[in-house]
Amino acid sequence: MASRTRKGSRLRMYFRMLSGSLIRRASRLVIAVLAIAIGATILSGLVTIYYDIPEQLGREFRSYGANLIVLPRGEAKITRETLRALRELVGEGRIVGLAPYRYQTVKINEQPYIIAGTDLEEARNNSPFWYIEGSWGDSQDTSQVLVGHEIAGTLGLKLGDTFTVQGVKYGESAEASRQDLSAEENQKRDLARQNFHTKLTVRGIVSTGGAEEGFIFADIDMLDDLIGDTFRADVIECSIAANAAELSELSAEIERIIPELQPRAVRRLTQSQDIVLGKLQALVLLVTVVVLIITMISVYTTMTAMVAERRREIALKKALGAENKLVMSELLGEGVMLGFTGGALGVFLGFEFALRVSLNVFGRGINFQWALIPATIAVFIIITVAASIIPVRRVMDIHPAIVLKGE
Amino acid sequence: MFWRMITKTLVRQKSKMMMIAFTVVLGVSLSTAMMNVMLGVGDKVNRELKVYGANITVRHKDAALMSDLYGLEGRGVNDKFLHEEDVLKLKSIFWGFNILDFAPILEGRAMMGSADVAVIGTWPEKHAVLPTGEELDTGLKSLRRWWEVSGEWLNEGGNDGVMIGHLLASENGIKAGDTITLTAGGRAMTFRVAGIFNDGGSSDSKILMTLPAAQELLGLHGRVSSIEVSALTTPDNDLARKAAQDPRSLSPDEYETWYCTAYVSAICHQIQEVIRDGVAKPVRQVAESEGTILSKTTLLMILITILSSIGSALAISNLITASVIERSQELGLLKALGAYNWQIVLLVLAEVMITGIAGGVIGYFMGIGFAQIIGQTVFGSYIEIARMVILIVAVILFFVTVIGSIPAIRYLMALKPTEVLHGK
Amino acid sequence: MPQKILELSNVSKIYGNLKALSDINLSVNAGDWLSIMGPSGSGKTTMINIIGCMDTPSTGSVILDGTDISRETAGNLTRIRRDKIGLIFQQFHLISYLTALENVMVAQYYHSMPDEEEAMEALAKVGLAERAGHLPAQLSGGEQQRVCIARALINSPSILLGDEPTGNLDEENERVVVDIFRRLHSEGVTIIIVTHDPEVGDVAQRKIILEHGRITQDIDQTPIIRT
Repeated sequence: MASRTRKGSRLRMYFRMLSGSLIRRASRLVIAVLAIAIGATILSGLVTIYYDIPEQLGREFRSYGANLIVLPRGEAKITRETLRALRELVGEGRIVGLAPYRYQTVKINEQPYIIAGTDLEEARNNSPFWYIEGSWGDSQDTSQVLVGHEIAGTLGLKLGDTFTVQGVKYGESAEASRQDLSAEENQKRDLARQNFHTKLTVRGIVSTGGAEEGFIFADIDMLDDLIGDTFRADVIECSIAANAAELSELSAEIERIIPELQPRAVRRLTQSQDIVLGKLQALVLLVTVVVLIITMISVYTTMTAMVAERRREIALKKALGAENKLVMSELLGEGVMLGFTGGALGVFLGFEFALRVSLNVFGRGINFQWALIPATIAVFIIITVAASIIPVRRVMDIHPAIVLKGE
Repeated sequence: MFWRMITKTLVRQKSKMMMIAFTVVLGVSLSTAMMNVMLGVGDKVNRELKVYGANITVRHKDAALMSDLYGLEGRGVNDKFLHEEDVLKLKSIFWGFNILDFAPILEGRAMMGSADVAVIGTWPEKHAVLPTGEELDTGLKSLRRWWEVSGEWLNEGGNDGVMIGHLLASENGIKAGDTITLTAGGRAMTFRVAGIFNDGGSSDSKILMTLPAAQELLGLHGRVSSIEVSALTTPDNDLARKAAQDPRSLSPDEYETWYCTAYVSAICHQIQEVIRDGVAKPVRQVAESEGTILSKTTLLMILITILSSIGSALAISNLITASVIERSQELGLLKALGAYNWQIVLLVLAEVMITGIAGGVIGYFMGIGFAQIIGQTVFGSYIEIARMVILIVAVILFFVTVIGSIPAIRYLMALKPTEVLHGK
Repeated sequence: MPQKILELSNVSKIYGNLKALSDINLSVNAGDWLSIMGPSGSGKTTMINIIGCMDTPSTGSVILDGTDISRETAGNLTRIRRDKIGLIFQQFHLISYLTALENVMVAQYYHSMPDEEEAMEALAKVGLAERAGHLPAQLSGGEQQRVCIARALINSPSILLGDEPTGNLDEENERVVVDIFRRLHSEGVTIIIVTHDPEVGDVAQRKIILEHGRITQDIDQTPIIRT
C-alpha cells in the first residue's frame, strides 16, 4: 500500500466518503438542508428588504406632495429651457413629479380669481392626496379644467358646467371700467384686442382641505395661448425621491448650475420624512436582527441534533486509526456542502420573498444586493460547520472504545 | 407506566428535550414579539406621523379660504371668527382622546415700520385644565416640529415676545433679542424677538406671537380665525368616503359604525358639533398620506411576521423530526419489546407536547420582552400586549409540533425492530 | 525462536474503587491465536481496550511489537493503533452510507493511501468479491462481519483484535467466520479474540480465562486444533 503514494487517490477517497455521506444519507440531510434554507431565506429576504426600505418607503412618503419648491431669482420668470435643464439636473430616476405653475388673475362674473396653469399630469404625480370629484383633466381637451372646491361653492359650479373667464392679455394694461360708460360699452371694451375671454368647462372639483381649493387648475399651454404669451412659470413644484441631506445637496447643485433658479426645500416634509423614515428603518433593522439571531440559533440547534447521532460513527473512525483532524476535515467538508446547498437555495427563495413583499406592499420591484449571495452562503457555511464541529469536539475526547460492545 | 416513561424521557433525555424546548422558546418568542409589534405598529407609526403637523383645520363656515391666497385679507374680507372659549371643547368629543395636539390661530396684518406684515397669534405651549379635571399640554410647538429655531421658542406667558420667520427677519435685518414695534388699527405694541424660525414654507415671512398679544394688537378679543388639530385617525375606507360626502346618506347602522370609528371625517363631524359656526376639514395632504404610509408599513410588518412565523414553525418541526429520528434506536427497542405503533406515537407526541408547552410559555414571555425592547428602542414607548397573540401562537405551536412529529412517526412506523438493534 | 509481539507486565487498571485488571502478565508470540474468555465483568473489555491502544493501564507496561504503549499520548496511540491493530467488533460497525468496498478503503484512507484493487483483493479473501458494491444494510450479518474482517486486515496489522466477533451471528455464519480465522492463523496472522462463546474460544491455539481482573487459567490448546 505504501508503494503507491499518489496524492490524488487520497483526495478521491475523501470525496467518495463525502458524497457517500451526503447522497446515501439524503433523507436525513433533507432536514438539515431545509433548516439551512429556511435560515438563508429569512436572512437574505429580510436584509434585502432592510436595504431597500429607505428607497421604497421614501417613495411612499412622496404622497405628501412636493418637497422642493423652485422659484425664479428676482423678478424673472422660469422659461421652458430652464425647466428642461432642471429636469435633466435632477435626473429622471428621482423625479416623482415636477410641475411648473403659472398664476394668472382672471375675472369671472367680474370677480377676481386665479387660474393656475400647470402640467396637469405632473401635478397629479405631485399631489396624489388631492380628492377630485369628476376627473383630472388631460392635455387632449384643454378647455376642460379643474376648479377648487371653494370656487365651485362660490360660483355654484357643478361637474360639466361651463363658465367664462376674462382678463387682460400679457403685456397689455387693463383700462379701468369707467363710471361714465354704460355696461354695454364697458363689455365691448373688454372684448377688445388687449383683452381675452374664453369658455371653460368644469371637469373636476378639487378638495384638499388647503389653499388649492381656491384655484382653478388648467393646462399651462392653454393658459399661455389664452393670454398670448410664451411659457413663463412662476414656480416649479418638485416631488423628488430623496431625504433631507440629498435634497439640500441637490438644492446647492441647482443654485450652482442654474443660477437663475432659487430652490427651497419644504422643511415640513423633508424633516418629518427623515424622522419617520428613520424610525421605520430602525424598526425593520431591529426586527431583522431579532429574527436573524433567533433563526441562526435554531439552525444551529437543528444541525446539532443532526450531528449528535453520528457520535458512534466518529468513534469508529477513531478506532480505525483516524486522527482527529481527519475526522474534522470530513465533518468540515460535509458542513461546507450542506451550508452551500442550503444557503444557495435559501438566498434565491429569500430574493423571491423580498420581491413578492415589495410587489405586494409597494407595487414595485426590489433592488437586490448581489453581495448578499456570497455573504449568506458564507454565513450558513460557518453556522453549519460550527454546528457540526462544536458538539463533536466533545466526542473527540471520548475514547474510541465506545464502539466496543454496549452503548 | 405511560407517564412514568414520559417523565423518565423528559428527565433522562434532558439535553435533547432541552434543545427542543429551547427552539420552541426561540420560535414562540419570535412569533409573539413579531405579532405584538405588528399589531402595535399602526398606532406607533401613526403617532410618529404626527410630526407632519395638523391633519384637520377648523374655520368659520363663512370664512373664505381664498383670502389668504390672494393676499387680500384685511377688514371686511375676513371678518368671520371662531370663539376662543370653544377651543378646549375639542377634547370633549367622542374621539377626544385621539386628539393629540391642537392650537388656535388668529391671523391678521400689521405694520412694522412701513412694511405690511402678516401676524399670527397662537398658543405656543398651552397647559390647560379641562372642566372634567383632566390636564393637558398642547400648542403650536408640537405642531411645528420641523421648525428650525435660532433663539428660543415663544413661551406661553410671554405676551411681549414674538418669533419672526427667517425671510422676514433677514429682509429687515432682525436678530433674536431685538425689539420691534407693530401697529394695527391705531394700536402700537412693542415686542422682543425671542427667536427666528425656519419653516421652509409660507410662514417664513410672518410674525408669530401669543394669542392674547395678537388679540390685543388686532382688537379681536376672544376671537380666533382657525384651529389646527392633530388627531390619530383610522385610514379611510369606502364607508368613510361615503360619509365624507354626506353623513346623512348613511343608514343608521352605518352611521353608528362611522361615528364610532376614528375616521378623519367622523372626527371632523364631531368637531363641528362642538365648535360654534366651525367647519372642520381634513388636510388631505396629511390625512391621506398618513393612510398610505400606515397601510404600507402595516402590510410590510404583516409579511415579515408571516415569514418569521413560518420560519420558526419550520425550524421547530424540523428539530422535532431530527431529534425523534435520533432516538429511533430507543424507540425501536420499545417496538421490539412489543409496543404497538400507536403507543409509541402517543409517547412521542406526549413528550413533544409537554416540552412544547413548557417552551411555549417561556417563549411567550420572552417574546413580550422582545416586543417591548423594540417598542422602547424604536418608538420610546411600550407596545400594548394583544391577548389574541396567545391564542394564535398556541394554535400554531400545536400544529407545528404535530406536523413536525409526522415524518418522525412515519419513520418509526416503517422501522423494523431488528434493524435498530443491530445498530445500523 | 518465535518473536514476541505483545507483552503485558504487571498491568493493572483501576476505575475509581474498581480494580478492573490486577497485575496481569501475558505474552503473545507472533502467529499465535489467543482467545480471552471469562464471565461478564471479569475485565475482558478493559484488556482489549488496553491491547487495542484505546486505553492505557494504571500501572504496568504493555510492549506492542517492540513499542511501549502504556504511557503514550492519545495522538500517538491512534497512530500506533492504525499501524499495528486490526479491530473486529460485535456490532460490526460498518459506516452505513458507504459500500462494502468503500468501508474497507476507509481503513486504508486513515492509514495511508486508499487502493481500490487491494481492497477488492481483501474482500475476495473473505469471499465477498461479488458483494463489494453493496451497502451494509443490504448484507447479512455474516457478510457484514466478513467485511469487517477484510477492513481489519487491509493494513496488515501486527494483531487482529476481535471483540465478540461472533456475538451477533447465527451458527452458520459463526462457522464461516471461524474458518476465516483458522485460515488467517495458518497464514501466520496473530489473532486475539475476546469471547464468551466456548465454541469460538476452544478453537484457538491458546485460551486464557479471566476472573475478577486476574488470569485464572492459561491453557495451551494446540492439540485440539490439530484434530
